Parts: sequence; C-alpha cells; structure tokens
Amino acid sequence: MTISTEPIKTHPEEQLSGYIDGELTQQERQAIERHCEQCESCRARLEELASLRLRVGKSHLSEIGEDKWRETMNDATVNISRNIGWLLFLAGLMVIIGFVLYQFAIGAEIATWLKLAIAAVYGGLFVLLLSVLKQRLVESKTDKYKNVEI
Amino acid sequence: MKQELLQLGNGAHALALQILGNPDDAADAVHDSFAVALQKPDVFDASKGPLRPWFLRVVRNRCIDLLRRRREQESGIDELTHQSADPEQALQFEQRDEDIHLAMARLGSEQRQIIVLRDFMDLSYAEIAAVLDIALGTVMSRLHRARLALRKELSQHDD
Repeated sequence: MTISTEPIKTHPEEQLSGYIDGELTQQERQAIERHCEQCESCRARLEELASLRLRVGKSHLSEIGEDKWRETMNDATVNISRNIGWLLFLAGLMVIIGFVLYQFAIGAEIATWLKLAIAAVYGGLFVLLLSVLKQRLVESKTDKYKNVEI
Repeated sequence: MKQELLQLGNGAHALALQILGNPDDAADAVHDSFAVALQKPDVFDASKGPLRPWFLRVVRNRCIDLLRRRREQESGIDELTHQSADPEQALQFEQRDEDIHLAMARLGSEQRQIIVLRDFMDLSYAEIAAVLDIALGTVMSRLHRARLALRKELSQHDD
C-alpha cells in the first residue's frame, strides 16, 4: 500500500495507530504528520492513542513474578521426567509379564487344564479391572461438579 | 530457550487471562504450554520465525482448548471468541491499574488479546498476525478499533 506524501484529505483513523506503533512506511508517516499539522482533531486523537498505549504498557496485567514462572517451568520439567519414568516402568513390566506368561505356557509341570483355569482367573480379573478403569474415566470426563469445592 | 520462555511467562499469562478470564486457569494454560515447549522442543522451527509469537500461539491454542472443554461441561456459555473476562479478576490486581482492568474486562476477547499483544508485550504487527492467525493487513484496523473501544470505556469510567 503506497500513500502519497500529500497531506491526507480525509481523517486517517486506523493509520494513526500504525503511526504510533512505528508500523508505517516513511511516506505514510510523512503523510500523517502533514495531515496532523493541519488537523487538530487528529493531532488530539494521536496524543490520546499514544498516551493510552503508554498507560497499558505500564499497567500490571499479570502479577506473577519470575520466580513463580521458574517454579512452574520446573514443574513442567518434572512432569516430563515423570512421564518418561512411567513409560520405562510400564515397558519393563510388560516384558516381565510376557516372559512369565511364556514360561507358564511352555512349562510341562502343570497340566494344561489347570493352566487354562489359572489363565481364565487372571484373564477375568484383568477384564474386570479394565471395565472399572473405563467407567472411572467416563465419569471423570462427564462429571460437571468435579471442580466444585465443598 | 528456557530463559527466553521464562521471560515470556508474564506476557503469556496476561494473554491467557484475557481469553480465559481467570488467573488460575490462565496460569494452568501457561504451565501446560511450558510443558509442550520443553517436551517437544523440535516442534519449534526457528527458521519459520522467532520463539515469542510461536510460544504465544501455543498458549492461545491451549486456552481455546480449555475454553472448548469448559463449554462442553457447562452448556450455554458465551460464544468462544466473545468469552467475557471475570470482573472479579480485575479487582485482584493493584489498585493503580484498576481502571485499565475494569475497562479491559468490558471489551471483547479479541480486542483484549490484540491490546495485550501490542501495548503490553510490544509485538510487531507481523508477530501479532502470526499469534492470532489473521492477515497482516487486518492487524492495524482491529488494533485501532480495540484502542478506541478501550479509550471509550476508560473515559466513561473517568466520568
């Protein structure tokens, strides 16, 4: 967008914001300056906007100190290491369980019917555990009142 | 990267506060965004731009996710982009900035966000466009309208 360096006939409006933000080209800046030399209302608007910008910039829109953010960031780092820890633990556990199951399946000292019965007991417990976990998960996601403090 | 992120904490919190309207939720959003940035540092591609707008975009997306989740739980909430600020949060800050907080609370979410990004965090128009995912040409007009709205609210309060 190119603007002539002639003074702007109409009030520039949004370009006043661009001017105080230093986001206009040199030509655009000059055009605004020439206009403001002749237009008292735009000059006043420019001053208002500049002072408003300064006021917001100096205000405290967030009151949390750097120490708190450092702590928050450390929490985030702890979460990452915790996740890695859980991942390693579960991976190791699955390898061990797999090995035990394999040994149990190929072992000759227990009769096949007994192996099947034991497998059914543990399999049933596992399915029950999964169904309870699923139910809890659904409840926690749909409970409207979980954040209500009593 | 860690040090740079640390310096963005307050600005990110101020932005999240304008979207979520609650200081604690805003702090949670920043915390989650720190975790994303630290957990997957490869996601940030320095060749595509600086860290600051990228991180603020992560924070903004996280806030929108949280709002969406909140909307699913509480039906009848305001339109996502017009989420109003909690007027009580304005009172939690120091007295000297009360006018600004009260006036900001009466603006729309998009207006509050763009004012924070430019006037509080001093982002360039190009960075603002990247954070808000809008065209560069839209930034100036939207920011100007937001400033006029803020000025109007402040003058009403001063009267």
